[in-house]
Formats: sequence, structure tokens, C-alpha cells
Amino acid sequence: MDIRFRIRRYNPEDEAKARPYWQEYELKEVQPTDRVLELLHRIKWEQDGTLTFRRSCSAGICGSDAMRINGVNRLACKLLIRDVGSSVQVEPILGLPVLKDLVVDMEPFFAHYRRVMPYLVNEEAVPEDGRERLQTPAARSVYDDSTNCILCAACTTACPSFWANGEYYGPAAIVQAHRFLFDDRDRAEEERLAVLGEGDGVWRCRTVFNCTSACPRNIEVTRAIGEVKMAIRKGSPEGVIRPFSHEKH
Amino acid sequence: MTTLVLTLRESLRYRGAIGQWSWLLHRLSGLGVVLFIVLHVVDTSWAVFYPPLYEEAIKTYQSPLFTLGEFALVASVVYHAFNGLRVAFFDYRPQLWRHQGRAAVGVLLLSGLLLTPVFVLMFGHVLDFYNEEAFVLPLEEVIRAQLPFLGGFALAGIAALLLAGLHSLVAGRGSQTALSASSERFWWLYMRISGVLILPLVFGHLGMMHVVQGVFDISAAEHLAVGASEGQVGANATGTAVEFVHDRWSTFIGPLAIWRLYDFALLVLVVIHGFNGLRGVLWDYLHHPLAKRAALYLCLIAALVLLALGGGALVIGIDEAAIDEASRALCEIRQTHGATLEELVELGCEEFGETS
Repeated sequence: MDIRFRIRRYNPEDEAKARPYWQEYELKEVQPTDRVLELLHRIKWEQDGTLTFRRSCSAGICGSDAMRINGVNRLACKLLIRDVGSSVQVEPILGLPVLKDLVVDMEPFFAHYRRVMPYLVNEEAVPEDGRERLQTPAARSVYDDSTNCILCAACTTACPSFWANGEYYGPAAIVQAHRFLFDDRDRAEEERLAVLGEGDGVWRCRTVFNCTSACPRNIEVTRAIGEVKMAIRKGSPEGVIRPFSHEKH
Repeated sequence: MTTLVLTLRESLRYRGAIGQWSWLLHRLSGLGVVLFIVLHVVDTSWAVFYPPLYEEAIKTYQSPLFTLGEFALVASVVYHAFNGLRVAFFDYRPQLWRHQGRAAVGVLLLSGLLLTPVFVLMFGHVLDFYNEEAFVLPLEEVIRAQLPFLGGFALAGIAALLLAGLHSLVAGRGSQTALSASSERFWWLYMRISGVLILPLVFGHLGMMHVVQGVFDISAAEHLAVGASEGQVGANATGTAVEFVHDRWSTFIGPLAIWRLYDFALLVLVVIHGFNGLRGVLWDYLHHPLAKRAALYLCLIAALVLLALGGGALVIGIDEAAIDEASRALCEIRQTHGATLEELVELGCEEFGETS
């Protein structure tokens, strides 16, 4: 089958291309099971070597090829042509500065990520056997879903609150905060709740649910944000989530 | 400003699911209701502070332009109320999020279901009004009557900017404009709790003023004001809007002036809910500290002015002199719009007939 691509281009180094514009490409002999990422490669290799985009593992794990495909944020490496149809429109994700074509500056995104302290905080002495801090399966299940995040930014750049206000931490950072806030081995809940409750924190979420449908890992993003809001209201993450309630069937 | 344009355009271009459209509709309906609240509270306070203006305001409300606005208002309130319940529900039960899309469709269906009979009844009032010899102010006059509001908005805007500038001077450059974490939490909670409290009050208010009777009945002579007691106040003898308000506010259940209390509760809850909502929307799109501060002061000024005018009117109430004044103003309005001597006599405006 033949596929028509319409791609948002931008190159600040070339005066003629320093204003974003659309460019079209035709691809022949495309299989329905080809992934959008493979076809972007074909365009770059066979037609236009200047087309610029990010990709690393090409297998939905590294999170580097999030882009807006036919209007919604997707990972180009996880999306099959049979699921998008014969005309494909590709744009960079929204709300982060575009550097070139489909490549955006992820630094503001990672600045928010760092802000929520995405690491385990526990200053207590190591257990007597000197090995690991044990955790029951029930306690582990509470934040299981949010461990799946690959930091691709598909959720954050699907959020109208983030588009309007880049200072908002955004869904991804809150999911990351959720992962540690609800971990019963963590001891920084007070600090975490304080950071998340600030003006640019969870209250900027207006439950639009764009993040949830954009997540390529099917994380229940808006739910995670809602649970963080409840923890802030209660002053503690304890008892907000029932164990095993995040398990997918 | 580029971010605002970009954000608004992309909010429409991004192909989000129904939640995105619910969010957009919620904002638009909220903004529409806030605009109406300003007109409504200020205009109604004239019933107490400057009766002739209230008679003119009600005449503008009875014009086709406002009739269109009235349908939009009722639709906005109904949608905003149901969607607000949906938002609050999933805030308290985030684990049930899988149902939110269906709930968003349900909100639209439920709004449509409720609005259909409501619109039929409202349209009935419109038909009744135009079937009888309706007196309608010309469009230019209806628009001209709203011009002072533009002046008021400009004045409030300038005051807000000045206060924001002053605040920035005192607080120093680079000072933060943000609410504390506990205020953020408080306002988030306030929006949900007040929303739930407002819902029955506003449905009752709209039901009385737009469905059971129409805006046209406010100035109908010999008409018993909705919710007023026949035994305590009787029908609207003068056919003035001021007497209509007086009759409602002078109706007691036991020692309680029931509609004054009702209106007071509605006023306080809605004005604070509305202007905090407006602040939230403005703060989403304004980033400069001065602009954010100005938006905050604008909302604060507007809320305080409305609470003072509306609350003051409710406390002071309406006396006989105000009704007389309104009665004369009504005659004057009709006289300047070419009512014949016969019509004036029928309206009880004999004295105006003689002088013309």
C-alpha cells in the first residue's frame, strides 16, 4: 500500500526553513505491519537525509521517539501503520521548545522530573543482615503501575495545563513522584507532599485525561495524580490506595 | 501572548478524547456565567440603590438579544453543574477513572435531557410575551445600556493594574506570585464543596426565574411574583420590576425572609466560586508576575464589588418610595418610546400622558 506522510519541519540554522512548515512525502510498498518509526527511517534514508528525529532502542523502552502522530501523542516505534491509516501527519510533541524538525528540548521536562526527588530516600540504618529493605507484595502492588514510566513525555505534552503553563510539573513528574511517595520504604513523604502541593504542582491538573490516553505504557496517569491529590489532602499517603487495586486484568 | 495563542489553537488541534472537550466546555460555560453574574448582581442591586436603572435593565433583559443570552446562560449553568459533579466525583474516586469518558457523555446527555423541556417552557414564555402587545427596547438602546459595564470593566482593570504595580514595587522585583500550598488546597476544596452546595440553589433559582415564570413576568402587572406569598404581599400592583423584587424579599416563612437568605447564600457561594474560577483560568495563561498579580486583584475587586452591591441590596431592602420611583421611571421609558395617551392611561401613567 502507498502512504502519504505530512511532517512538520523546522531548521533554525537555515534561514529558509526557520519558520515551521509542512513537508509531504510519498512511500510505496508499505506493509500494514510496518511501524511509523520504520517509515520515518525510509524517508530519511531513501528520500531526505535532512529529516531529523530522535530514536534509540526502537522497541518502546527508551522513550525517545514520542511525537504527535495524526493529532495524538504516540511512540513512533510502537505504532503500526494499520492503526493509523494511509495518511500520516507527524509533529513534534507540544509544550517543549522545538530544536529541529521532530526533536524537542527535553531539559524543562527533566527539570520537573528532578524537582520531585525521583529516588528513594531512607536514612535509616541498613537491615541487620546487611542486604535489602524487604517489602511485602501487597505494599509493592500499591505503586506497581507507576514503575512502568519510561519518561517519554507523551503524557506531559498531551496536557492542556502544561501547554498553557510550562512551570506545571506535568503528569510524568507526578507519576514519578507517585512511585516513591507510595513506596513504604521511603521516608521523605513530608517533603514530597510539600513539593507536590505547591502552586505548580498537582492542583494544576484539571482531570482532562489526555495524559492517560497518551501513555504508551498504559499507565493510569490521571488516577495516579488523583491519588497524590488525595494523599496531600489527608497529609499522608497511607490508606489512599488499596493493595493490588492497580493490577490490570 | 504567543503562548496564549499557541495554547488555545493547539487545545483545539490536539485530538484528545472527550475529556478535553468537557474541559473546554467547562471553562467556556464558566466564563459565560461569570460575565452574566456581573451584569445580574449589579443590575439587581439598582432595585435598591437606583430603582429607575433597574426598570431599564429588566427591559433590556426582555429584548431578543438577552433572550438568546438567557437560553445560553441556562444551558451553561446546567452543563457546568453536571460536569462539575463529574469532575468532583472522579477527584474523590480516582480509581474509577475508566468510567470518566462514559460519564462525560452522560453529562452531555443529561444536560440535553433536562434542557429540552426547560427550553420548551422558556420558549413558551417568549411566545406569550410576543403574542401580547410586547414592548421591546430597540437593539441600540439595549447595547447602549451595557456600555457602562465596559467602563466598569476598564476601571476595574486599571485599578487592578495599579494595585499590582504597587504590590510589585513594595514586594520587590522578582518576588513570587503564588498561593501557598495550604491556600491552593483550600481553594481546590472550596470549588468542589461550593459547587455541590450551589447546584440545588442555582437550579431552584433558574427554575423560578426562567421556567416556572419568565423574565417577562418580572414586570407583569397583577402578577404574583414567583415564591411570593399572596397573603403577605399580594400581586405586583405597579407592574414594576422593583415591586417584583420587593414582593419576593418581603415574603416570610416564620421569622425568616426566606428569599433574602436564599439569594444571600447563592450570591456569596457563586461570586467566590466564579471569581476564583476566573483566577484559575487567567493564571493558566498569564505568566508575568505583574500580569498574574493584576489578574488576582481584578478578581478580588470584582468579587468584593459584587458582594458589597448584592449583599448591601439584600440587607437594605426595598421600600415604598423605591417602588414609586420605579413606577414613574417605567412611565417615562414608555413615554419616550412613543406610547399613546391611551396606553399610558392603561399603564397607570396618566400624569405622563397630560404632560406630553
